[in-house]
Amino acid sequence: MSLRRDVRHGLRIGRAEFVRSIRGYTSETRRVVGLLLLLLFFGSSLLFSLPAVYVAGRSAQSVTEIPLFGLVATAVPAVLTLLATFRTLERIGRVEHESLVLTTVHPRAVVIGLITAEIARIALWFGLPIAVVAATFTAGLGAPSLLLTTTVVVVPLACCTTVWGYAAGVAVLRGFKRLPGVRRVLKVVGFVAMAAFVLVSQAFGRLLGDGSLPVDTLAATLTFGPLTDYLALAFVGTPLARPFSAAAVATFAAIVALTPLGLVVATRQASALWFTDRAPGGDRGSAASAKADGSAGGFSTPKPLAGTNGGNVAWGLLVRGVRHPQQFTHLVMLVFFLGPLGTTIVQSSADGLGPILAASGAGLGTYLAGATFGLNPVGDDRPQFPMLLLTATAPRTLVRGRVLAGVLLGAPVAAALPLVTVALGTSPLSAVGFALVGVCMCLAAAAFSVGIGAAYPIYEEREFWGATTVVPSTLVLMAFMFVVGPGTVIGLVATWFGVTGHLAPTPLLAAGVGLYLLVTVGVSYGSYRYAIRRYRTYTFD
Amino acid sequence: MPSTNADAAVEATDLRKAYGSEVALDGVSLSIPSGTVYGFLGPNGAGKTTTMRILTGLSQPTSGSVRICGLDVSDRGKLAPHVGYLPETPPLYDEFSAREQLDYVADLRDIPSETAEARIDDLLDTFGLVGDANKRIGTYSKGMKQKTAFIQSVLHDPDVLFLDEPTSGLDPRAARQIRTSIGDVADSGATVFLSTHILPVVEAVADEVGVLFDGRVVAEGTPDEVKSRAQTGGEGSLEDAFLAVTSDEPQLSGATDE
Repeated sequence: MSLRRDVRHGLRIGRAEFVRSIRGYTSETRRVVGLLLLLLFFGSSLLFSLPAVYVAGRSAQSVTEIPLFGLVATAVPAVLTLLATFRTLERIGRVEHESLVLTTVHPRAVVIGLITAEIARIALWFGLPIAVVAATFTAGLGAPSLLLTTTVVVVPLACCTTVWGYAAGVAVLRGFKRLPGVRRVLKVVGFVAMAAFVLVSQAFGRLLGDGSLPVDTLAATLTFGPLTDYLALAFVGTPLARPFSAAAVATFAAIVALTPLGLVVATRQASALWFTDRAPGGDRGSAASAKADGSAGGFSTPKPLAGTNGGNVAWGLLVRGVRHPQQFTHLVMLVFFLGPLGTTIVQSSADGLGPILAASGAGLGTYLAGATFGLNPVGDDRPQFPMLLLTATAPRTLVRGRVLAGVLLGAPVAAALPLVTVALGTSPLSAVGFALVGVCMCLAAAAFSVGIGAAYPIYEEREFWGATTVVPSTLVLMAFMFVVGPGTVIGLVATWFGVTGHLAPTPLLAAGVGLYLLVTVGVSYGSYRYAIRRYRTYTFD
Repeated sequence: MPSTNADAAVEATDLRKAYGSEVALDGVSLSIPSGTVYGFLGPNGAGKTTTMRILTGLSQPTSGSVRICGLDVSDRGKLAPHVGYLPETPPLYDEFSAREQLDYVADLRDIPSETAEARIDDLLDTFGLVGDANKRIGTYSKGMKQKTAFIQSVLHDPDVLFLDEPTSGLDPRAARQIRTSIGDVADSGATVFLSTHILPVVEAVADEVGVLFDGRVVAEGTPDEVKSRAQTGGEGSLEDAFLAVTSDEPQLSGATDE
């Protein structure tokens, strides 16, 4: 097939994929609400920053006055390439319904289509706000041509980086296909790296803020001159224009030449990925995987869980969780809440480190107890409801089993981590106090989570951090964290003051503690009862 | 083993497919003349889907070769206009309406818009989908999805149509509609490669039958020939023959290794 035809087909596929994405974003009310909340949050931030951008445009005299322009110009292609690579790994490495598309058009058209759609999505999410900022800056500068030149400079760069990012992502996917073990390891490594990045970025931000980092030296070291010259071409025809440099023109030529080359590489990689062996679901896989997927004997719940149906249910959830850990990918959301904690740990003195880590351990256990099994109970159980709801086992047993599974997972963490930090200087009394409070909070969090999870069930599988699974609603997860987080912190802080002798027993304190316990127990129990009611009255409507 | 036939619509020679040490296909050879409805039978896990993916160029055999309408399947650009493929899960986008989906595929097939519009209208009418053509596919029943996917697979008048369980899970009316359409496609001169477990469908429409078992074609011929080779007795059904040839004990009086 000719290149022209493939480009035409590719653009048609890109348009279709983009339309599907837009319809997907707006297909459900909750997604629209989520988008509106995002718009409200980031839109207002953007709106408030526009006057400063306008003033910057009015006052700018040369490109060199733009803070860190060279560093940003170097970082932009790297970030765009990485973004395309990650998006390929997560989402666009394959086209949906490839049996249709690949028997209809050339793989090159599919690659063009996927990349086109991705560029359109990136333009929608990032391009619009960037365009608003650029337009405001342009208005301040009084040079309308800046918008046009920026487009002319940025679009080839975005195309080139996306194509090469795609090729890199597909190459990684091919590697994963050959070595599936590496993929599993990298997922764990990736999670740890993400957590480390969040924590380190906090320290980096602090050092940047207090001037400890030699920013100018760092910028001079990391800046790649030709890229800076190239992006400075955007200012041609404005008062900020630099003289043309040979490096800028050479960079432009390289970008233009590398894009089709990247497309060739990406097409070859993608064809190799799409058309080489993959044991289809309906056929037999390898003997090794069949062996790994088997298990000898019947379902035997260990003591002491074996005595009750709730224990059996809990053990069943734990066993399934171990065999299919991908269902817990939503737990990675915790990483994004580690930022403030990271700052605290970084800034804490050696004496404070032990208690902070002890409290963090109790908090982690609480999070796991609630978030692991509790945030989408109805969605998780629905495929089995025709069986579960028609057995003699009462709905309360099913819910109780789920709560118990969460506690069994979270409580050991909440108890053990504080005790371990005795080695880091936490007093034994504090460690025991944190551990006890942590275990109690695990019970409260697990009971609370099943209620809010049952209130807003999610049934559809979706791709989340590389795993296709039924993931709890992000809104539910956020609500859980915003309720359980502060509740746990209050309990732990009170415990800390209590065990260090900073709290005098007064009627006011007793009233406060009583109110706290009442709210914690009341909300958790009420939530638990609500979940039971949802199970009892569930219908397939 | 069938003899090589240059005029065959589907010509597969000694196909072998292995996943590591597990052999999914072991020396499968097929020669299907144009205009034939070929019923491809086999128990779960026999390798039927693997065979279909290889025949459509979506997967590569470990060894062996495939030609469709005289074209090597590795030349996908030339192959695409000649084949239609309806996999077991209908390849439809929930976010599109049936009309959008079919327009989209017509565009990708380079069918001129006037021709495509007329053909889509005609097929939607034939399958009773005109009233629902503008509804999103995500709201469709299984039968409606299957009918839409069937239309999609025949939109470009392919020379060879591969169907993987096209009537599975459909109500009798929808199943009959698909079955009738398979006959219509064959009457127009196209070849239909039909993989299914629903043996009455095969008995009703197939000119030839191949039975895949343990990665090998263990019986092939007209339905009557397969019944007689399976020693099921003169009154035996295709189901009896299928059970006989896919048991572990040798009961054949003649098979493809003859």
